Amino acid sequence: MSATPTPPSPPVAGLLEGRVAIITGAGQGVGEGIADSMAQAGASVIIAARRAETGEPVAERIRDEGGNAAFVKCDVTVRADVDNAVETAIERFGRLDVMVHNAVSPPGVPRPLQEIDDQTIALQIGTSTTASFYCAQAAFPHLKNDYGSLILLTSPAGIEGSGNLPLYGAIKGAQRGLLKSLAREWGPEGVRVNAIAPVAWTPAMDVATTANPTLEARLRGRTPLQRIGDPTADIGPVAVFLASPLSRHMTGQTLAVDGGRYLGL
Amino acid sequence: MVPDPQRRLAGMARRTALIVGADDPADSITSGLAAAGWVVLRLDDDDLAWDDHTVATAFPDLDGLDLVVHARYPAASRQRDALMELTDDDWRIRADEPFEATIRLARSAHPYLAASAGTIVFLVPLMASAGGEGFAPMATAAEGARLLAKSLAKTWGDDHIRAHAITLDPSAFLAPGEAAGMAEANSLHDPPLGRVPDLSTEVAPIVNALTTDDFTSLLGASLVVDGGLWMPG
Repeated sequence: MSATPTPPSPPVAGLLEGRVAIITGAGQGVGEGIADSMAQAGASVIIAARRAETGEPVAERIRDEGGNAAFVKCDVTVRADVDNAVETAIERFGRLDVMVHNAVSPPGVPRPLQEIDDQTIALQIGTSTTASFYCAQAAFPHLKNDYGSLILLTSPAGIEGSGNLPLYGAIKGAQRGLLKSLAREWGPEGVRVNAIAPVAWTPAMDVATTANPTLEARLRGRTPLQRIGDPTADIGPVAVFLASPLSRHMTGQTLAVDGGRYLGL
Repeated sequence: MVPDPQRRLAGMARRTALIVGADDPADSITSGLAAAGWVVLRLDDDDLAWDDHTVATAFPDLDGLDLVVHARYPAASRQRDALMELTDDDWRIRADEPFEATIRLARSAHPYLAASAGTIVFLVPLMASAGGEGFAPMATAAEGARLLAKSLAKTWGDDHIRAHAITLDPSAFLAPGEAAGMAEANSLHDPPLGRVPDLSTEVAPIVNALTTDDFTSLLGASLVVDGGLWMPG
């Protein structure tokens, strides 16, 4: 398939100047892309990742590029780790304005619900609903100080379901139930809660397309923009938008950032 | 799956439904289906071990299910509390455990639904798709169930199992005072129907209809049966 015309990445400089953000799962993929964009937008970013060997290099690279970033070891299924990430943001940068919960356990290979192993079920629920609860509770006391924002990373599978990954579709839908309720609950406090449903190049996508060589062409063929998103150039700026005053009248929404793959809203 | 008149006639004579959940809407749906001639089994024990063998353990002689209706939301999840007031145990009891129990129920019911080319219907409160202040755990578990229906419809179609979700007015799940607040938060008008549909005489027949061969081509539907209060795009 020939290269699809792609516009330049939008400028984000200054949109988050003076703001502080935590991004979970920022050691790679979409989380890394969001951290990059938020740093480019002027935010100080906490790279919250389970593994130092992925998270620390991202923080170091952002610092080398002139941004403010710190790595925090964080398993989002552990309450103390999430609390520690928030405390580190306050200690290092003095405030917290944006909590992005992106981390999720790999959904595994496509298989019917009844064949998914118990460990995958536990990890998928733990990293999605439980961790969203931890991130929301830990961040809220700081988010309400200055019109902060909670952003959850969900998926088109959480909107239309998934035949290949039925559990993944359910957990990503569950996160949307949470975000809409919190949007109602926290709106009067000035805190906004939104979600992004991306389709982008991630390590998991790399694995899937390597294992299934026709997948990329099929996915592009079913996407009006005919390409798979880039975490930094395509997904990150939307997270910056949701974290910035540009979206100050938006809450409870899920933005499908998928090249038009899902058109059901 | 092409409708089979022989199976339709045979099935109508001995259709078995499993209704999961305590209180309403499970109670009223049970009444409505029983009145329509269904043999109705119930699973409504909050202390039950919800695992992959739940159905087999509860009904060891069962050889098939034509219908499973999931409407299980523990009493704790129907209580209003701000998210910041919840303990980790509250979240586990109100959101994560009911959500996982829903997944386990579907897994444990699969062989019985496959044996009968059955239908599974998830009843969810309005808060699932519209949000509900003070009900974040319930909305989380319920929206997970609604999306599970879509995913199962895509996965289990090969097994001739149909999966759907039906969104109901909050009054189907909550105490009247709480339910009124939820409805008001979601609409500036009264239901065009002029009232909330009766669970036993108006919602149960829709559940019943979804199991018939007239609706064979409807898969993964997410219906809203609330009298027109909530009309999502």
